[in-house]
Amino acid sequence: MYYIIEDTINGILMGSIYGLTAMGLTIIFGVLKVVNFAHGSMLMVGMYLAYWAVTLSGMHPYLAIVLVAPAMFLFGYTLQNFVIKPIFIAEKNVREPLTVIIVTTGIWYILDNLTLLIFGPQYRSLADNPLNGQMLEIGEMFISVPKLYGCITAVITALGVYWFFQKTDMGRAIRATSMDREAASLMGINQYKIYNVAFGIGAATAGIAAVTLVPFYNVFPTVGVLFDIKGFIIVVLGGLGSIGGALAGGIIIGIIESVGPQFMTATWTEAIVYGLFLVVLFVKPSGLFGQKHDW
Amino acid sequence: MQILRRIVVPALAISLIAGSYATGHAENVKIGNIIPLSGPSATLGQQGKAAREMAVEEINAAGGIKSLGGAKFELVFADSESKPEKGVAEAERLINTEKVNVLTGCWNSAVTYPTTAVAERYGIPFVVPVSVSDKITDQGFKTVFRIAAKDSWWTRDQFAFLKDMEKEFGTKVERLAFVYENGDWGKGFAGQWKKLAEAGGYKVVLDEPYPSTATDLSPVVQKIRRAKPDVLLLVSNAADAILLTNTLADYKVKLKAIIASGGGHADPSFLKTTGKNAQYLFDIVEWETDVNKPGAKEANDKYKAKYGQNLTGEAVDAYVAMYVLKDALERAASLDPEKIREALAATNLSSGPGMIVGYDSVKFDKTGQNENASLVMVQVNDTGKGLERITIWPKSARRAGYTPVFPMPNK
Repeated sequence: MYYIIEDTINGILMGSIYGLTAMGLTIIFGVLKVVNFAHGSMLMVGMYLAYWAVTLSGMHPYLAIVLVAPAMFLFGYTLQNFVIKPIFIAEKNVREPLTVIIVTTGIWYILDNLTLLIFGPQYRSLADNPLNGQMLEIGEMFISVPKLYGCITAVITALGVYWFFQKTDMGRAIRATSMDREAASLMGINQYKIYNVAFGIGAATAGIAAVTLVPFYNVFPTVGVLFDIKGFIIVVLGGLGSIGGALAGGIIIGIIESVGPQFMTATWTEAIVYGLFLVVLFVKPSGLFGQKHDW
Repeated sequence: MQILRRIVVPALAISLIAGSYATGHAENVKIGNIIPLSGPSATLGQQGKAAREMAVEEINAAGGIKSLGGAKFELVFADSESKPEKGVAEAERLINTEKVNVLTGCWNSAVTYPTTAVAERYGIPFVVPVSVSDKITDQGFKTVFRIAAKDSWWTRDQFAFLKDMEKEFGTKVERLAFVYENGDWGKGFAGQWKKLAEAGGYKVVLDEPYPSTATDLSPVVQKIRRAKPDVLLLVSNAADAILLTNTLADYKVKLKAIIASGGGHADPSFLKTTGKNAQYLFDIVEWETDVNKPGAKEANDKYKAKYGQNLTGEAVDAYVAMYVLKDALERAASLDPEKIREALAATNLSSGPGMIVGYDSVKFDKTGQNENASLVMVQVNDTGKGLERITIWPKSARRAGYTPVFPMPNK
């Protein structure tokens, strides 16, 4: 029983970080209706930014959010504006522009390989940071401090993005575009600018996720791929386009991953996670919190 | 003029024939090397090429094969691209067209396996510096000679090392935990560990395969912590080796020793990313630059100056292979393949410039496996120059003045 509590806590903490890594994916899909295959690579870029910011300046790893989140917003905004937008315009009349997915796959490969070229295949980690290896010890129970910080950051980010979408004019415009892009355009909303902003916000959340990962995880060129696959499962589980759903989906997977191995081997829990993914697709294709209506 | 022509021309011709006959006696020894010079294992193939060239340069500079009138070694390289069918085709070409006297290669076990069959058919001796798959020397071939330790010996040596440590430090080890990546490599090791643990009278308290792509290994670490093993045996790729080492330290898991199996734990970035968390870790490898053998340091310095990197286990095997061939040819005193094969089979090379390996001598058993080949165990520790890998086992190769730390003190 006691073990289960300890593992559930770890599962919730790690799971909310998974949710944070997938949040950008769900935002971008919700608005652009495009699965961004480069999302993991954006996370990787954010991790390198955070790593170098902290290493070069010696600042507290969480202070890097101030730098990484805006930088990633700009990165996402420009990427969408100069690389993805032209395709959108060219495929204006296509309901689901497949070529955009191919372009994001291209971006994924280019980013990963550019990083490999510039930084080499080495693994890097912030060995000397104030959060490294910090543990809350309650009796025999261990709670990882960097993961706790990550969980709090994930909740704050989710609330922040939710507030932004609900309360601000830009947020409303984004929601309007995500509901019906033609109608939104007729109301005077520049849909391509909205896409830019949505992509930027998605990239910024990936940047925030990167900052929470760097204190306890390794940075290497293909790190995004590991989180990418998990991100897709989380987003489908929680419901494509739902911000709370991403967090919930992440936590569910985190708990399965953390509690599962006490009853079976870690290899099997991985199988269960993928199995759950299939079950959700069969039973409730819109996910736990997704909107029912057809995109 | 006519007379002159009649006398001189045949005389010239005779002298030419005689001359060629004389040089024929000091004919070079042609060594065909099939290694992956391009493709996925190219960096390893290039290391093998460099090591062979360095050895041959030394051998030729020292006068070549004296019993063959100072015959020089001549290396012929063929690229296998890590493909079995390419290896087989190149072996045919090297034997039939290039007329090589000996073959070596091929690093990738999957290439070496079918390629040795070609050599066996033609009766050409085939020296395998390193291809670890057991089955290469289990084919019953007469012409195959392997320098490196085979797959199953890695686990054998891990347990031999553990027994030696228990004896040396008077510490009893009872409970073992096996944690390994869930691929071919990890599962193969774990299967052998189970048998060895049973034979050694150990109790296995945890047997846990995990996916190398895991983003969080704390559930696995929790399992290790709760199983309370004395010794943890690991097989890991790079990212997971780093994550496991750091998470084990975070959760303050108390162990007497951690024994790793190379791979991720030997990755150049492993020590940089784990730092103090990796202290006292044991890792099994083929060779380490500080191995306490005469000539090892000099060979490594020379190699580093020439090619810009340290000698690796694979490179050392290739280097030693050339000296093993030199020794055999010296005794064979002939280029007849059967004579060379017989000389190789009778090899017992224990000293000389090439012997920089961690074990005492190269000697082949009936299957052609170097029966003395063993691996070395290193410990990660800081002796005042920062964390480094220090050779500690076998005892004859241990770095002078270093005492291993066992059991691991609580951090």
